[in-house]
Amino acid sequence: MKTIALKPGLAIILMMATFLPRAIMAQNATEIAWKVYNRATPKDGESDMTMTLINAKGKERVRYLHQYFKDYGEVEKKIMFFKAPADVKNTSFLNYSYDDDRDDDQWLYLPALKKVKRISGGNKEDYFMGSDFTYEDLEKRSPNKDEHTLLKTETLNGELCYVIASVPVEEGQYSKRVAWIIKDKWIPLKIEFYDEDEELLKTLSITDYQKLQGYWTIVIQEMKNVQKDHKTVITLSNIRIEVGLGDEKFTQRAMTKGL
Amino acid sequence: MKKITELTLKYHKAVLIITLLLTALAVGVLVKKVYIETDLDEYMPREHPAFVYSDMAEEKFDIRDAIVIALENKQGIYNPQTLQKVKDLTKALGKMPEVDKADVTSLYTADNIIGSEEGLEVNPFYKRVPNTPEKLSALRQAVTTNEMVYGRLVAHDATATLIIAKIDDDVFTEAFYHEILNLSESFNGDGDNVYVAGQPIIEGTMGIIMPQDMKTMMPVVMLLIVLVLMIVLRSLKATIITLFLVLVSAIWSFAIMAALGIPIYAPTTLIPILLIAIGVADGIHMFSHLQLYRQQNTGKSKEHIITNMVTEMWKPVVMTSVTTAVGFLTLITSDVYPIKYFAVFSALGVLFAMALSLIFIPAGIQAAGLPRARLQPKEGSFFNRGAALYGRLMVRYRKIFSVWTVIFVAFFGYGMTKVWINSSFLERFPKSHQIVQTDAFVNEHFMGTTNINVILEAKEADAFKNPQVLKMAEKMTRETEARFPEIGGALSINDFIRRMNKVLNEDREEFNTIPDDQDLIAQYILLYEMSGDPDNLWEVVDTDFQSGNYSLQVKTDNSKTLNAIIDYLRTYEGAFAQIGIKMNFAGSGYTSLVFNDLILIGQIKSLAYSLVIVLALLSFMFRSIKVGIIGTVPIVITTIISFGVLGWLNIPLETTTALISSIAVGIGIDYAVHFIDRYKINALLTGDKEVTVRKTMAHSGRALLFNAVVVIAGFLVLLLSEFVPNQALGAIVSLNMFTSFVGTITIMFIILYMSDIYFKKKK
Repeated sequence: MKTIALKPGLAIILMMATFLPRAIMAQNATEIAWKVYNRATPKDGESDMTMTLINAKGKERVRYLHQYFKDYGEVEKKIMFFKAPADVKNTSFLNYSYDDDRDDDQWLYLPALKKVKRISGGNKEDYFMGSDFTYEDLEKRSPNKDEHTLLKTETLNGELCYVIASVPVEEGQYSKRVAWIIKDKWIPLKIEFYDEDEELLKTLSITDYQKLQGYWTIVIQEMKNVQKDHKTVITLSNIRIEVGLGDEKFTQRAMTKGL
Repeated sequence: MKKITELTLKYHKAVLIITLLLTALAVGVLVKKVYIETDLDEYMPREHPAFVYSDMAEEKFDIRDAIVIALENKQGIYNPQTLQKVKDLTKALGKMPEVDKADVTSLYTADNIIGSEEGLEVNPFYKRVPNTPEKLSALRQAVTTNEMVYGRLVAHDATATLIIAKIDDDVFTEAFYHEILNLSESFNGDGDNVYVAGQPIIEGTMGIIMPQDMKTMMPVVMLLIVLVLMIVLRSLKATIITLFLVLVSAIWSFAIMAALGIPIYAPTTLIPILLIAIGVADGIHMFSHLQLYRQQNTGKSKEHIITNMVTEMWKPVVMTSVTTAVGFLTLITSDVYPIKYFAVFSALGVLFAMALSLIFIPAGIQAAGLPRARLQPKEGSFFNRGAALYGRLMVRYRKIFSVWTVIFVAFFGYGMTKVWINSSFLERFPKSHQIVQTDAFVNEHFMGTTNINVILEAKEADAFKNPQVLKMAEKMTRETEARFPEIGGALSINDFIRRMNKVLNEDREEFNTIPDDQDLIAQYILLYEMSGDPDNLWEVVDTDFQSGNYSLQVKTDNSKTLNAIIDYLRTYEGAFAQIGIKMNFAGSGYTSLVFNDLILIGQIKSLAYSLVIVLALLSFMFRSIKVGIIGTVPIVITTIISFGVLGWLNIPLETTTALISSIAVGIGIDYAVHFIDRYKINALLTGDKEVTVRKTMAHSGRALLFNAVVVIAGFLVLLLSEFVPNQALGAIVSLNMFTSFVGTITIMFIILYMSDIYFKKKK
């Protein structure tokens, strides 16, 4: 048997060869995450929203809503009104989502009760309106909260994507996310969410996205919980952006007025 | 028959080798294919409308059996150690491949929806284990004020909490059973006691006890039979041949069952013991005759003696075997599959034993040599004098005896009306069994381990947001709960609505009601969906709100109680019909009741069939309907007494004890066959009534006594079983054999005597 004695210089080069690309890839992954985070988004807007909940037996329930949103920088405000089913018409939901780690502020108006109720404990990990999306899934997440790794680049649905694994620095609702980020558009095409036991929990698929007034906008997205075999599809229509909504639209008073 | 015997004797080695080869093959099949079915759902006839409906509802509302683990801490569960265990055990269960994470419910996973001054809060009870006295008492406060958790997941006295894991029907295996027990055991200690309960565990325990039971009983039965055979036959050879043939018949019938892919069910575990106890009778009769004949005809060749045995005995052997097999076969009319299988394979075993008696015994004797001759008691011996005296007394006091028989039968006939059926699986275990005590513990501290699901269905969607419907259902639930202390709790869409109403009205108790406004109810539900885990909702209502699952938790699975509850619930059927709602039932608590009715109907059907068929067979065998009727008297009396005893002693019928009547008819009739056969022979031979009585009593009475002793001894071994119903079966069949025997030599004999049959022509 031959033995090969490594010279110190060679050893360093070998080590660098092993670690350097990783460092570069991590750098790239974090950059990509920031590009997604910093992608330009409209100041405000409104749209109709159809939320279809599909259970394991394929049974569908559809909710029709109308939503308004306005981005104030450190806080994003959103108000939604149910249009159908009829028995919940004009039920409204107001949400203030903060940029820092504060929990969302949420209020609910039940027209039959004629009272605005604050829903506290509005944890970002809670499911949004009983759908398969948590509040957090629908919001931007600061890249600082995760460590990112570029796994590969691949073409998905005809788009060249960076595949990035993001592992939270502090324990969160997911142990890992793997996102397919469309190059140059900086929106995700697909995200896999892994639960605390590192098993695949949910898959988000973006099936329709459009460039509206210069902003890439997700129009149809589908979240599938693979453990429970549920699915939620959110479809936006009649989208209007940069419409200059007033602050009074996002108040408890506005909630009681209906559409 | 003579031809067959000639061939048998000629090729006796071939007969023995073929028998052995077939048996070896059968053992091979058994080892490879046999398995025990413990999933009690498999006992139910799936195509029955009630089961079809229940299956549908179970699918719709995700009604499944669950493993229930109780953690007990006598000092109270609100301490970091116990709460940590709840968390760890919840996670460990969720990680098992057989369990879906989402199907595990405990204090750790439950949602706490509470009202506050300004609104609504939805929180888990805890994520990180609380470790300060303040946090612990806050948790306690949260649990105590949430009636959807209090009493359901945490005991009222706070000394125990539950972790519930729903599992699919098909994932339960013995390995999984042990894993669950081991996992639970690892959390035992340091003041925490772990109890494992739930239907799958009860079934699993049954599956483990069943083969053990057979293993304990089989050697005892065999030893006992060897002993009795030795005493009766006084020949080791004869004993071994007889024992071997009954074992072979049991192995063959089990092997055919296994080859057809039919598993072993609780009733079919009894077949080997039954066959051993019954099958030896043929051998006893054959060998007795052989020994008697040999003694009276010394110097005859071996072949001649064997041929005589077969030609003389094949008729009674075939007759008694056929009647026994028919008795068993009538159970095939049952809708319950394990009972059908029991019918087929026990009948098959009896016929195997018959065929082997007629072929294997001659071949065996040919190969092994004649057994030792038995000393035949001489005329005028103690036994014969006793028999003669008995016959005279019977004749003299026949009227008094008849009157007493009628009184006796009337007494037990009344007892029959008290017979009830129990499908409780738990009550099959002795009270001291750990599984019974665990169940008792869970029932004592929580809402109950048995569910009755009332499924209410409307014609249109959104009915279960309609206050009128909900209030009617509320009334039904409340009144039923108030009436039956055995009901520990109820869960339905009403609980969710009441809870939301209360919470959104500043947690005021007076709002723990169903509101009058349908839109408000719809909005509450929407709010619940938005804040809680909506999956909880779909276990009590369908997504169209067209049907609701009103489940009642009952602290016993005793059929009397469950029946009473269902009957009471049905009184609301009319009121619901008026508002367009149909009522149905689902869940294991209900299907086991339907199962009961099927057992009862099957019981009555098979009993009626067996009596009619036996009557026909007897009439045919003796060419007289009159004799047929006389011969059926003892078994009719036996049946009445047997059910009468069940009724008076308050022993319920269930799958195993339901087999009693047919077993009793099938075996009990043998005594009548032998007795009448002998009586007829003697009557035609002597033409003298007194001599006939004396001779028949001495000859047949003695053989029947031996026969009865063997069968009774065999069945008494069932008292060793761990299953309560098997014990009851053993005791009652023994009793039946006794009454059949006594009935034959008393009342049947008296009727036969008074009827003057077989003497008429001569006078």
